[in-house]
Amino acid sequence: MQEAELHDLSDDADYAASQLQGSVYMTRSDSTKTSSTTEPEGAEVVYLKDNVTIHPTQFASERISGRLKLIKQGSSLLIMNWIPYKGQNSNARLSEKDRNLYTIRGVSFTDVRSIRRHTPTLGWQYIIVVMSSGLAFPPLYFYSGGVKEFLATVKQHVFLVRSAEDANVFLVNDFENPLQRTLSSLELPRAVSVANVPLPSTSTPLGELPPNENQDAGDGSRSSSSSLYNGRTRQKVHDPARDISIQVLEKFSLVTRFARETTSQLFRESLNNGFAVANERRAHGLSPVNSSHKLVHEAEKAPEEVPVAPDPIEFDKLTLVWGQPRQAPLGLEEWATYLDSEGRVMDSKALRKRIFYGGVDHHLRKPVWAFLLGYHAYDSTDAERDYLKRVKKTEYETIKRQWQSVSAEQAKRFTKFRERKGLIEKDVVRTDRSISFYEGDDNVNVHLLRDILLTYSFYNFDLGYCQGMSDLLSPILFVMEDESESFWCFVALMERLGPNFNRDQNGMHSQLFALSKLVELLDSPLHNYFKQNDCLNYFFCFRWLLIQFKREFEYGRVMRLWEVLWTHYLSEHLHLYVCVAILKRYRNRIMGEQMDFDTLLKFINGLSGGIDLDAILRDAEALCICAGENGAACIPPGTPPSLPIENGLLYAQQDDEVL
Amino acid sequence: MSYAYLFKYIIIGDTGVGKSCLLLQFTDKRFQPVHDLTIGVEFGARMITIDSKPIKLQIWDTAGQESFRSITRSYYRGAAGALLVYDITRRETFNHLASWLEDARQHANANMTIMLIGNKCDLAHRRAVSTEEGEQFAKEHGLIFMEASAKTAQNVEEAFIKTAATIYKKIQDGVFDVSNESYGIKVGYGGIPGPSGGRDGATSQSGGCCS
Repeated sequence: MQEAELHDLSDDADYAASQLQGSVYMTRSDSTKTSSTTEPEGAEVVYLKDNVTIHPTQFASERISGRLKLIKQGSSLLIMNWIPYKGQNSNARLSEKDRNLYTIRGVSFTDVRSIRRHTPTLGWQYIIVVMSSGLAFPPLYFYSGGVKEFLATVKQHVFLVRSAEDANVFLVNDFENPLQRTLSSLELPRAVSVANVPLPSTSTPLGELPPNENQDAGDGSRSSSSSLYNGRTRQKVHDPARDISIQVLEKFSLVTRFARETTSQLFRESLNNGFAVANERRAHGLSPVNSSHKLVHEAEKAPEEVPVAPDPIEFDKLTLVWGQPRQAPLGLEEWATYLDSEGRVMDSKALRKRIFYGGVDHHLRKPVWAFLLGYHAYDSTDAERDYLKRVKKTEYETIKRQWQSVSAEQAKRFTKFRERKGLIEKDVVRTDRSISFYEGDDNVNVHLLRDILLTYSFYNFDLGYCQGMSDLLSPILFVMEDESESFWCFVALMERLGPNFNRDQNGMHSQLFALSKLVELLDSPLHNYFKQNDCLNYFFCFRWLLIQFKREFEYGRVMRLWEVLWTHYLSEHLHLYVCVAILKRYRNRIMGEQMDFDTLLKFINGLSGGIDLDAILRDAEALCICAGENGAACIPPGTPPSLPIENGLLYAQQDDEVL
Repeated sequence: MSYAYLFKYIIIGDTGVGKSCLLLQFTDKRFQPVHDLTIGVEFGARMITIDSKPIKLQIWDTAGQESFRSITRSYYRGAAGALLVYDITRRETFNHLASWLEDARQHANANMTIMLIGNKCDLAHRRAVSTEEGEQFAKEHGLIFMEASAKTAQNVEEAFIKTAATIYKKIQDGVFDVSNESYGIKVGYGGIPGPSGGRDGATSQSGGCCS
């Protein structure tokens, strides 16, 4: 229902401009089929560097290398070209189309706003070129060095100054008085706080202009200092917010390609879509910027009690561009096309991608989950899997007999066993009993839950049993309908999620920490709000993370979410972006109603059952793509569900009180 | 609905002692033997009347397993009352009371009213902790004590209300600065801001104590 509205931006001037912007780039890259090195007459190559590379995805192995050139045209025009080498792609998946997509040709420095230099102590130096339009190119990695010369050359031909805010940012053609710039930068903290000043939103990567000029001057929420921001125009009246923009834009620069790809996609799609949002905006007399949350975030019905700092990344538009619409689940016929004659999955990445976008038909979950969870190898044959199933069944029975053979006399002297057994028995009868599969007295599936969990507590005695495990096992047993298979799938899941249940909760804490870092990256006003309200421990997201949103959606939706998460397609940690996506959906209410920790916890708990999974997955995808490497950098290595970093013991030794 | 005061309660105690059932019995007046185990925290609320004043109880029902203690501790903040629950049929849940109490003392405000509840008193035939032991423990640690049954509803209402009455009396006695919400008390519309507004002290409407 929201879909149609979401697509509907055709009457929006900003959006039109962005489309135009996108089209220009498309034209630039597509119109040039030759990668000839000949330059127009009167042009002089003033800088040339080979092995300048972009990484189109988060994977360092996927790269496109090319030649970067600065060309002086006439007396004052400096042009930048970056042409990928032909036929040297690191990866077959990077098609000719990709190469064309990324090609940078004929970019004039009159259109460049800034260049940021990154000189990590480890790894390659790279630069990010940000256009005045707000569009940023992907980072250009200088495999053979040369960043310094590049900047020196630029400086010879255009006016280049270091940003007062950041020594690694070089502003192009910024003729502002440096003193003024410095003074105005002092206003920055006010701009980013959750005070009443609307943070001048950064341009979206679509190339839209920063929205200050669109903001309703009469919205009454602006403090006096905000007048500083009002002059933001194309005439480069200085605006400190621009420096914020630069930083935020850089976060998105990795994904510029998505902007381009998707812009062209939107061209096609928009022809078929009805357009209503812009009209609705007019009807409500709302400016595009201020209305965006209200329109998209239907959940936010309550009136805002205090003005809220706007979302710095204009989340709704982000999702529109980068979150792909959900697809129908993978069905039987299509599934067959992924398998070779002996039952191997031929292209596991393509399969994972397919499932990421649509999930799996329920009757296919049984075979597919075993792959996703890592119980079966993608390249195993049907025969191998049949064999493994038999072997594993025997192995399971062996472990199971260990606790089954504990006699009553032995149990008397085996406190830990008695405690675990008691706890598991108490919990399985409190797990999903409203689902018909588990309902009723003396339900055999409830007994299976108990047997599997108890066997697991022997298989992994260090970890044992912890509440939440039954929630994770329940859908697995429901899908696998087989005791041993369920056990091994659960084992595979616990390889990743086991640390959630460590006694010291280290797995939970590392995820909560990563979540706070991601929110800081993707919604700094919200982060600041949590900080000011003593909510940075993110305990209000505890249940989400502990059991992978099991209690937040109805059963069928949980299974859909899980299989999407388990693809690890965009990130192993998509679940954290799901958290961010949900928080961002409700950010205006959280901040507007000035929720304190208690209220927030209660509010978040109350969202259970009311979250639109498809919309959130789309948001999460967009956020994950946008955060790119910077997002990944927020998540410490080994954070669940990443496989634990090997350091001898899989689980910290549990002390004696463990249950 | 408006209230004179809002009290935050927290229910603590070992897993499976019946915390969620006590809450459900109090808020919904029903016993539901099959409900999902609590992960993190659940919430309930109910209006009661004390001294003819409407008081809203906001009740936090916590997960009992040891592993979650660290997160449970963050819920104590700003609680005016705590229901510390054990299961009279399981000795170990009684044995763990001291450690629960220690947590509560350490992480809650010093004036938090704590009610000790020996739950499942309908299962007298399986009793593993005598009433006297419960009374003794409460006396030693300055707690109010009741045995109750979430199943039969015996003393459930009383336990929650007696706790509220005790908190209310503390307000009347000026123990709390009710403008400071860290005590777990919010003054609502029609509330009396400060102890000076108290006229005739707390008149408990709670039922009698379980014996």
